[in-house]
This record gives sequence, structure tokens and C-alpha cells, in this order.
Amino acid sequence: MSTDTATSTSSATAALAADRPSMVTAKQLSRATATRQRRSAHAKMWIGATCALLVILPVALANVLPLPGPDQQQLTARLLPPLTGGHLLGTDQLGRDLLSRILHGGQVSLTVGVLAVVVSGIIGIVAGSAAGFLGGWVDSAVSRLLEAQLSLPLLMMLLLVVALFGSSIPVITFVIAVAQWPEVARLTRSLVLVEREKPYVAAARVLGLHRIAILVRHVLPNVIKRATVVVLLLLAQAVLLESALSYLGAGPQRPFATWGRIISDGQDFVTTSWWLVTMPGLVIAILVVGVNLFGDGLRDRVRRRKGSDT
Amino acid sequence: MSIHTPPPELSRRSLLRGIALAGGLAAFGGTLTACSSPTGAGGAGGAAGGTLTLALNRSLVSLDNKLNQFDAAVTVQRAVRQALTRIDEKLTPQLVLAEKFELTAPTQWTVKLRDNLAYSDGTPVKIDDVVTALTMYQQVNGSFLASFFPEWPKVVPVDDKTFTLETESPFPTLDYVMANILITPAGANQPQELQDGVGSGPYVVTAANRGTGEYTLKRNPKYWGIAAKIDTIEVRFMPEESSRVVALRSGQVDVIDSVSPDAVKQLAGLSDIKVETVDGTRLNQLFYNFRKPRSHPLANPQVRQALSHAINGPALIDNVLGGVVTAAAGPVPLTLAGAVKTGEYVYDPTKAKQMLDSLGVKNLEVKIIWESGEFANDASVMEAVAQMLGDVGVKATLQQFEPGGDILKWRQGRAGDWDILGNGFPSPTGLASTMMQGMYAGTAAKEATRDTYHGYVYPAITDLVVKAQSEVDRTARDKLLADAQKAIWDTWPCLWAFVPKAVTARRSQVEGIALTPANNYDVLNVRLGA
Repeated sequence: MSTDTATSTSSATAALAADRPSMVTAKQLSRATATRQRRSAHAKMWIGATCALLVILPVALANVLPLPGPDQQQLTARLLPPLTGGHLLGTDQLGRDLLSRILHGGQVSLTVGVLAVVVSGIIGIVAGSAAGFLGGWVDSAVSRLLEAQLSLPLLMMLLLVVALFGSSIPVITFVIAVAQWPEVARLTRSLVLVEREKPYVAAARVLGLHRIAILVRHVLPNVIKRATVVVLLLLAQAVLLESALSYLGAGPQRPFATWGRIISDGQDFVTTSWWLVTMPGLVIAILVVGVNLFGDGLRDRVRRRKGSDT
Repeated sequence: MSIHTPPPELSRRSLLRGIALAGGLAAFGGTLTACSSPTGAGGAGGAAGGTLTLALNRSLVSLDNKLNQFDAAVTVQRAVRQALTRIDEKLTPQLVLAEKFELTAPTQWTVKLRDNLAYSDGTPVKIDDVVTALTMYQQVNGSFLASFFPEWPKVVPVDDKTFTLETESPFPTLDYVMANILITPAGANQPQELQDGVGSGPYVVTAANRGTGEYTLKRNPKYWGIAAKIDTIEVRFMPEESSRVVALRSGQVDVIDSVSPDAVKQLAGLSDIKVETVDGTRLNQLFYNFRKPRSHPLANPQVRQALSHAINGPALIDNVLGGVVTAAAGPVPLTLAGAVKTGEYVYDPTKAKQMLDSLGVKNLEVKIIWESGEFANDASVMEAVAQMLGDVGVKATLQQFEPGGDILKWRQGRAGDWDILGNGFPSPTGLASTMMQGMYAGTAAKEATRDTYHGYVYPAITDLVVKAQSEVDRTARDKLLADAQKAIWDTWPCLWAFVPKAVTARRSQVEGIALTPANNYDVLNVRLGA
């Protein structure tokens, strides 16, 4: 009996050795840290993308969905709970369809968020890469500026700017963009510092390329992916900042629905009409978790590829 | 033979477990503590003589009413400083620092101070203090109370306790109006908000934080009258109504004021919470901007009337304002002495459209401005009004100002243009005449300094109000006031107006709150039950 078992085991090992020139089994490979990390990144990206799209798609399609207008009031049908009176998420204190308010409000919040991260991404990448590559006084100026800005309390600074210049969508977009550029700039600068010491940069210099040309044509393409991932992660933060400003009364003027304002208005009814606060809060949470998970997964994948490239 | 066991290591996992366990125990313990004593030490659950905690909806930036005259603030201010008279819950003047306050001639009132009056620092209340107080209220820039005085009375001392208040024209309601002039030691009074707490009231200030709006008042041991029943009053500023409601329910605070209709519904039926409601004297209005050029559509009273027909007042009252307001039926609330019904706001959008068409008004755009917290459910009212105007073809844009913003400049026409202002006007005297004096008795001279009520200047109406103010005969005065109110109504000053009820919610242990229609109460009689 034991002789038979020993014989079969040795034959299986021989077969495996014939397939793979290693004693590491497929099972062991699947349990390996690298494999788990790859699977985790994959799962994060899928879950993140699903959560984010669950919010972004309906928000993007809000104007074509068969919903009442976000500002269309029906005073006799106020504070209806979800799934009553033909309102999926109920109605608010003026009888407006809450789902429509959330979706249309999402358009404002997401537009502000996307525009803000695009602007902050451009500012951050340009300033950070210039600081990292050019060094000298440019580096000093950019570094001191972003350190100074990072030392200021973010929300207070935003409230101050909105108080001074009014609470229009362009102003809010701009202040959020300006608030977020240091993170992108810091990362870009550090990535460029690493890249500029590599041989291909030296080769480009020897070939007589101008510094700006080297930066734009050779260095930036090598750092842009990783910088973009950080910019994507800032989208969630931008949406949260916009919601926070609206919640504090510094958002776009009424009757614009924004997520922060819907929550702010709804909190007066929190003990009797829970859905007014819960539903928009849930939407914000799903979006932020989704974007962050997607960004994390993307970052892990980019990092792994970078590792395997080197 | 012994088995060697390695000593336990403090791994990261075990450390985190330990922290989580400790945190959980702390949270559980905290919950148990909270359950055992929901009101906390010295809170509402205390016996008589304990601590009363008030949560105000607006920040109490001073304990002086020269500029800071919102309803609940008056309750706290009068706990520290007092006037010669006060307006009681029946809207009649009662003597406070004055022992006698009598009309002895058409242009003369004779006042006698009580014998034993003293401030919290032990110094006596003097006639000089009254003289200085009148001067300071007169000099303060942008005073709301100053508008109640058609002329300032002159103080003429008779003896060390008695003096007369002399005016050029008869001032038959001076005993009502003087209820708003708080008396402070002459040396400490200034033509601005006073930050210290020296007064003759039943309480003294022991801690004050103007920035956070938090104050601690202790019973005045040297109070000249019957001592207050509660030892300490804590005043907190909670701008969010939901926070005030939760704080009241949980016992963190004992009394909240200016409760909105929706909050009343949330508090209804709770056994440990009592809600008190009385008809108010405040007029909340959507007031037109009377500084528009003659060519502007809103300069035409018929256009203003047409827009009023677009407002569905009953729907706003029943749904948005929870039925705890009444639509105005005249330019001042009918609860005020001397007020008469002059008309009513009728919802008729078809008529609104027809009138606008017949007047040639097309594509009218209006801008509505207001400050958050001006009245309960203000934002909802404004959004509803904007849609109602939109239904008759008038595009309304909204601009909401946060407290502390520059709406005052806007109101004075110094910052930006607007068409309709959401505003509340209190009547701390309980008289129609003083509200009419403040809102509708504008003059060209006042308008030059932007001190009229949003440019409302109609000399004929001003004459009627001034005559009424100086008419000693009650019947004749009421007749003049009625004529003035009808004339005001015909100018159609408001898009819509309503009179809110004064609403206070308190924990059931708090007793003795006699809420006045002016939305304040005398803390002297408040006590904590078992």
C-alpha cells in the first residue's frame, strides 16, 4: 500500500517537473504575495469602478431619465418616504423628487469635482515637474509655496475665498483646484527628481536637446501615469470638499441642488424624515469609496508594472 | 522534562486588539454613564436653584440691545440690564426700575425711580444713568430702536429720584417705548454694544465669550428686588435647529426658542418636552425695494400687487410653515395695539398674469435676498416663492446671505441691486404705531443717509404716522393709525407677509416661562421643578 502511494507521488512530481522547470506548484503560486496583490488590485478596480459607475452613470443620464425636474415643487406631497407616490427615494420638504435632486445635484458636484481635479492636476504636474527638473530657484519657489499652502487650514481657506469672491460655480471650482494642487505637485516633483538622474536624460542632454524639450518629451511621459492616479484619487476629495462647502452654505446659490445642500436642508428633519439625509449621504459614500478603490487598484497596478519593467 | 514555551510577544495584532478592546469598553462605559444621567450635572434634571441652559438660534454678541435686538436675545439682556418699564405677556407696560411712570401733561411724563435700586456692583441707579442711556441710544450708528422715537425726550430732574421726560410734541406711548432703553451706569455706557455685564438685573455675567456666543450668568446677590429662583443660567449659541432640537431632547439644554414648524412636529408628543405658542408681534415680509427708479416695473404699485397674486399664501402657511403663522391682513400684525385689517393677500395666478400683461410687463426678472435664519424655514419659503413667481412668467433668482455677511450693505443699496428682501420686523413695544414709525415713516432726510426702511418714503403716510404718534386721545390716535395703514396697504409694500407665532420648547422640569408675543420672557420667574 505504502509502496504504491510512494510510486504515485513520485510520478506526479516527475510529471510536474516535466511541465514546469520548478518545484513551486500552481497552488503555491496562487497563494504568493505577488499574486494576492495582483488579485486584490484587480478586485479593487472592479469594485471601485462598479461603485463609481453606479453613481456616475445615473448622474450623467439624469436629464434623459423619466424623472420630475429637480426644482419642481409639489407642496401637498412634501416629505413623502421612499417608494411612495411614485417617488423612488421620496420627496423633500418642498415636495421635490429626492432622486431627481440627488442626480441633478450630482451633476453640479461632479462637474465641480472633475473640473477642479483637471485644473489642479495641470497646475500640480506643471509646477511639480518644473520644480523637480529645473531645480534651483524654481524648485525653491514652488516648494516654499506649496509648503505655505499646506500649512493653512484647508476648509477655512476655502470659506474665506468664497466669502470674498462669492459662491459661484467657477469660484468654487477654482478654489478647490488651487487647494489640491500641492499634493500633485509634491508627487510629480519627487518622480521627476528620480527620472532626471537616469541615463536617458543624460543621453538627451548630450544630444543637445533643450531642457524643456527633455522634460516635456522624455521625462513627463514617464511620470504622467503615476501622477494621474493621484489626480484621480483627488476627485473624491474634490467632491467631498464641494459638498462640505455647500453644507456650510458656501455652495452655489439656491435653487441649485448640490449634495451638501440637500444634506444640510435635510438635517432639520433628521428625526422624522431620515431619507433626506441618508440617501444623499449614501450616494456620496458610494462614489467616494468607489473612486478611492478604483484609484488604489490603478495605483497598485501601475506600481507593479513599473516594478516588473525595472 | 519541561516544555520550553517562548515568552509572549507584543505583536502589532495583539496591540491593536488591546486598543480596540479598551476603546470598546470606554465607549460602553460612556454609554452607561450617559444612560444613567442624560441631563448631566446641573442640567435640566437639577432641583430648583440649579442651572438653566438656554440655546439661542442666533449669536448673542452682546448683553446690550443697542444693535443686537433679536427676540431671544432680549430675554438674556433683560436678565442683566433693565429698563424703566417692560412689556408683559398682555402687551401692556409694567413698571420695573420706575416706581411711577405717568403722563402728567401732553408733552410731559413724570417718572420716579424706586428707592432701593442698585447695580450688581452695589452702586445706586441714578437719574444721570437714564440721561446717558437716552444719549447713547440716540448716538449709536444704525440703531434699530432709534426708529421708534419720533423725537428723543429730554430728562429734567425734579429731585434725586424723580424726573420728567419732556418732548416737543406729545408722546403718549413713551411708557411703551422706554421699555427698550436699558439702563447702565453712566460712566460705563457708550454709543455702541456694551461687552461688560454691569446692570441692575437679577443676574450678573461671570463668563462671556462673544465669539462663540456663550455666556454664564449667576444670580445677582445684590439684586434690589425678589431674588431669581435659578442660580445659574448658561447661554449657548446653536445655529442649527436640528442641533437645538437634539440637544433639548437629550437634556443638554433646557429651553430653545424660535422653534420652526417642522421642529414642533418632531417635539410633539414627547412627554418630557413642552411646547408653548402665543400669537406673535413680528411681521415677516417679502418687502419690495423702494429705491428702484421710476421706470422700473416694480416702482408701479399695480405690478407689485400683480406679483402678490402669484403667491400661494395658504399653501405656504399649511405646508411650508406648518400652520403656525397667519397671513398678514394689513401692514402690521393685528396683534398690535392700533392695528386694523386693511386687506388680504389673494392667490390668483391667472389674475397675476392678466395684470402683468395689461401693464405691459414681460420677462420680468427679480432678485430675492435674505439672511439665513431671518425666520423659520426661510430658505424653503424663498424657494417656493421663486417657483410661484416662475409659474406666472417672472424669473426669480435667489441670493442667501449667511449671518455675518454684508446683507446690511445690500439692504442699504450700497453693495448690489435687489428687488425683494426677506426680512422680519419685531415690535418689542406691542404697538402698531412704533412698527409703522420704524417701517413706513421714512423721510427724504432719512433716505439721504439710507436710514429709511428700504427706500419707503411717502410723505403723506409719514405725516399720518407722526400725527398719530403725538395724538394723546386714544380714539383719535387709532383713527389716524387706521388711515395710515389703509394708505400703506394701497402702496402694496410687500410681495407677501405673515405673522409667526412665538414658539418656545422647554423640558417639562422648567416652569414659569411666561412667553410674551414679542417672543421673550422674564427669567426672574423661571424655576426648575422636580
